Amino acid sequence: MKRSQKLAYKREFEASKKDGKPFFPYAVAHDLIVATATLGVVIAFAVIFRVEIGEPVNPATTDFVPRPEWYFFFLFELLKIFEGEDALTPVIMATFIVPNLLMVLLIIWPFIDRGPERRIWRRPVSVVTAIVVIFMLAYLTEEGANSPGGAVAADELEIPGIENFPEAEAGFELYLLNGCASCHMINGVGAPGPGPDLSKEGEKGRTDEWQIGHLKNPPEFVPGSSMPAFTNFTDQQYQELAVFLNGLGTDFN
Amino acid sequence: MSTEATPQDQEDRTARAAKDIGPTGPITKATDMTLEYVDERTKVVPDVKWMMFRKIPKETSWFQTLGFTALVIFAMQAVTGIVLAMFYKPDPATAFNSIEVITDEVTWGWLVRGMHKWGASAMVIVVFLHMGRVFFFGSYKYPRELTWVTGALLLVLTMFMALTGYLLIWDQKAYWATVVAVNITASAPILGPYVADILRAGPEFGPNTLSRFYSLHMLVIPGAIATLIGIHLYLIARLGISEPPYSKRLMKARREEEDARRRAAREQLPHGRKPVPAPGTTPQREPVTADGGGSS
Repeated sequence: MKRSQKLAYKREFEASKKDGKPFFPYAVAHDLIVATATLGVVIAFAVIFRVEIGEPVNPATTDFVPRPEWYFFFLFELLKIFEGEDALTPVIMATFIVPNLLMVLLIIWPFIDRGPERRIWRRPVSVVTAIVVIFMLAYLTEEGANSPGGAVAADELEIPGIENFPEAEAGFELYLLNGCASCHMINGVGAPGPGPDLSKEGEKGRTDEWQIGHLKNPPEFVPGSSMPAFTNFTDQQYQELAVFLNGLGTDFN
Repeated sequence: MSTEATPQDQEDRTARAAKDIGPTGPITKATDMTLEYVDERTKVVPDVKWMMFRKIPKETSWFQTLGFTALVIFAMQAVTGIVLAMFYKPDPATAFNSIEVITDEVTWGWLVRGMHKWGASAMVIVVFLHMGRVFFFGSYKYPRELTWVTGALLLVLTMFMALTGYLLIWDQKAYWATVVAVNITASAPILGPYVADILRAGPEFGPNTLSRFYSLHMLVIPGAIATLIGIHLYLIARLGISEPPYSKRLMKARREEEDARRRAAREQLPHGRKPVPAPGTTPQREPVTADGGGSS
């Protein structure tokens, strides 16, 4: 901003205060009314929607629904949008580049938009940017709220041909019991993300050792993976899961 | 902001004392004496008076109350959080049980926990709306850029508060959601793995992870938030509450400016160079000539 513009602003603000009113009681009264009403709403919510007690933590069971609170849905959905197979870049886009870029932009915004104009209709670029960002956040939050919470009905998922492979069938059982479907999708059943669609997993030509190692420590095999490590299966169970995964799209389905 | 009692103030006080207009009530007398006692020892009374009775623009919007509302919710979160901390045990073996005790046994415990939980959502919403108000009013512009920066940092810290608080419930949902959140952190390049190790208090989720999140949620982040709120409020008091850009006063001033500019343009005079004729007077026009001079 030019010096003259700064001075013009100061003059204008002084003028606005000249016929202004005192902070107390006018602003204080307004503030108290809105704050009290908001507190009332919070208390009403606390009374009407009672807090629940969930299940105690058990790191050994992996039957979980990794869903964040609603205000993180947009990040969660971002992860699904940039969902990648093995590629490192898309995951970093969602987990690192996009959120951090937005955060830095937000913090330094006054140094980007430095013009003196404050009227909405005279700041089309700023206002359109803000509206686009707000709509994106609203859309992603809405998507997150509507996405299946991982409680996928096991009987909905059918894998034709699996009954000929007893070991794979046992692996399938484990897949359903351990909440894998809350991040992965097979034949259109399960959550569309953050994990990749596994319908054609077998076609990737991975070895059973690869699958077992990946289950034990995902980031070692897929850099940037946010999948939790599954460390509590028996050797037998790991083998069954690996056979199941490598058969998807090849031996059955 | 006037920083100390000026000689003028002193004179006023002596003048008032000399011009004793009669008996004052005991309450007024006690208030005056207390104020005088405090002011002599702190020199803060004129500042507080200035702060409370300073002029703000005549037309302010109801949307300009959201900042104070966020402050009140922060205070509510602090109070309910303190109460919860009296019963909560940040240890993996007992954490879940202490949550059960708070919810089912402690008097009003369910209410305090419910307020804290819904307060977190209310905080995110109110802070977001507050930011939208500041954005659409253009209030982040000169001279309030740094107020915006502290506010944006407060929004980020609010999100961290929500993230760290979520784990403390120590149920399956919270646990696994946080495992994934920390895994996502670990996937970030360069610093990611180190930040994740710091959050987890080691390479794996363990007993220390819970106390670390507890410490972040109870001490580190609230401390940072309180400090930033202090700076934010100081800047707001110092710089004043901005006027909505659509206020009648501003619109009138802008209209007059615009009229003046149009009048000047009509006469093809550089704006501000020559005195603009008052509205109503017929502008003197040059005759239209072949080379275009004087035409509009």
